[in-house]
Amino acid sequence: MSEPFISSASLHDFSLWKRMELKRLPFLFDLEITARCNLNCRHCYINLPAGDKAAEKKELSLEEVREIVDEAVSLGALWCIVTGGEPLLRDDFLDIYFYLKKKGLLVTIFTNATLVNAEHIRVFKRFPPRDIEVSVYGTSAGTYEKITRRPGSFAAFRRGFELLLKSGFNVRLKAMTMRSNVHEHHEIARFCRQRTHDFYRFDPFLHLRYDRDPERNREIRSERLTPQEIVSLEQSDPERFQALQEKCDKSVMPESSSAEIGQLFLCGAGKASYSISYDAMFRLCASLWHPDCVYDLRQGDLTDAWRHFVQRVRGMSSQREEYLRSCRVCDLMNLCMWCPAHAYLETGQLDAPVEYFCQVAHARAQALGAAERSSPSPRH
Amino acid sequence: MGVKAELGATYLPSEDIVVREIEGELIIVPIVSGIGDMEDELFTLNETGRAIWEKLDGRKTLGDIIGDLSSEYEASPGEIERDVIGLAEELLKRKMLVALRKD
Repeated sequence: MSEPFISSASLHDFSLWKRMELKRLPFLFDLEITARCNLNCRHCYINLPAGDKAAEKKELSLEEVREIVDEAVSLGALWCIVTGGEPLLRDDFLDIYFYLKKKGLLVTIFTNATLVNAEHIRVFKRFPPRDIEVSVYGTSAGTYEKITRRPGSFAAFRRGFELLLKSGFNVRLKAMTMRSNVHEHHEIARFCRQRTHDFYRFDPFLHLRYDRDPERNREIRSERLTPQEIVSLEQSDPERFQALQEKCDKSVMPESSSAEIGQLFLCGAGKASYSISYDAMFRLCASLWHPDCVYDLRQGDLTDAWRHFVQRVRGMSSQREEYLRSCRVCDLMNLCMWCPAHAYLETGQLDAPVEYFCQVAHARAQALGAAERSSPSPRH
Repeated sequence: MGVKAELGATYLPSEDIVVREIEGELIIVPIVSGIGDMEDELFTLNETGRAIWEKLDGRKTLGDIIGDLSSEYEASPGEIERDVIGLAEELLKRKMLVALRKD
């Protein structure tokens, strides 16, 4: 019987992840516990006002959260991303958090940090989250609050952010880059890199609204950078540019060539993860809001959603000529934001090309010297 | 320092960990800070560790567990004792196991 009995592995090297993915065991899920937020960011795909009573009424109750989490754990979940809206806005946030921890889940929290208080810190110190991802919109009050449209929010962000950093948690930083803060992009990058040894990324891809609100979508579109601006930001970040190069070298997603010709879902959505909205809607990924792709957990249950509904959605296909001739066979697939979920948010169709995405992918390909490999040619 | 395991003592899993069985593997997830060498780790038990772990129920002493395992496995009692004590001390050191008070 003599051999090592207990072994430890860092999460990155944990061999079980791959095995679970191969067996289609859902080890990861997003839990949006609210769509409400104390900020009102211009680019946000989900935020509703903090005082929106109708939205609050639709939110999963603590009891419902517990039931869903119990089922998620029994299906094999090992990691939960708690997100929103702003999750700390909920009065019972710590009850939810504590429940996730007690069930043996690794927990990631997405937050704007403005509501972090001493009680959160006390609980996190004793029961640490795996990591906390904080959004950074600017390094000056002017820029930050131009985006959040909440006076005083920059000071609240700095205070909450410093509390998290001082306590030594794994803080990851994400900067959404848009028209209103692009002039501060390099300062934001410097600010973030000076403060986190763990992880920083910027993201210039602004998703459209989950609720497809046309007014808010117009605002989001007006915040989007041009394809050339995106590429030049990426070129100025050697790490990111190299990552892009590696993606480009793969050319297409490995399974896409063997998938059925009309198959829509060539991504990892619903393979080992899923997303649950504040009002109990199950989706294969957070952005997938087509009515045929959402499952109401209040009318069914997570096991049924995972075992049956996911298969049905992943089996969806398209006969649209435009899709079959362009996105489905595009060599730049890995450089493109296009996916059925984003296509739906942009066009109302799961299988329609999106001009902006196409332009960005081609600009990237050109920057990477891969333009000549791109076929078919741009559609627009 | 509390890392000596005693044959006459009973032990049970700490409330500071959660044990999950996924894909036939026993995974120990620390839920409080200070367990393990870093915060970014998960722990798994091999077959032997698992056989011992499943008997650490707060009722049997380590001596009882050694007796049970000796009748279940072909290894010598001395070898089994080394394994049981070794794992218990490893788990105590990592604060994954707690001793029950005798009174």
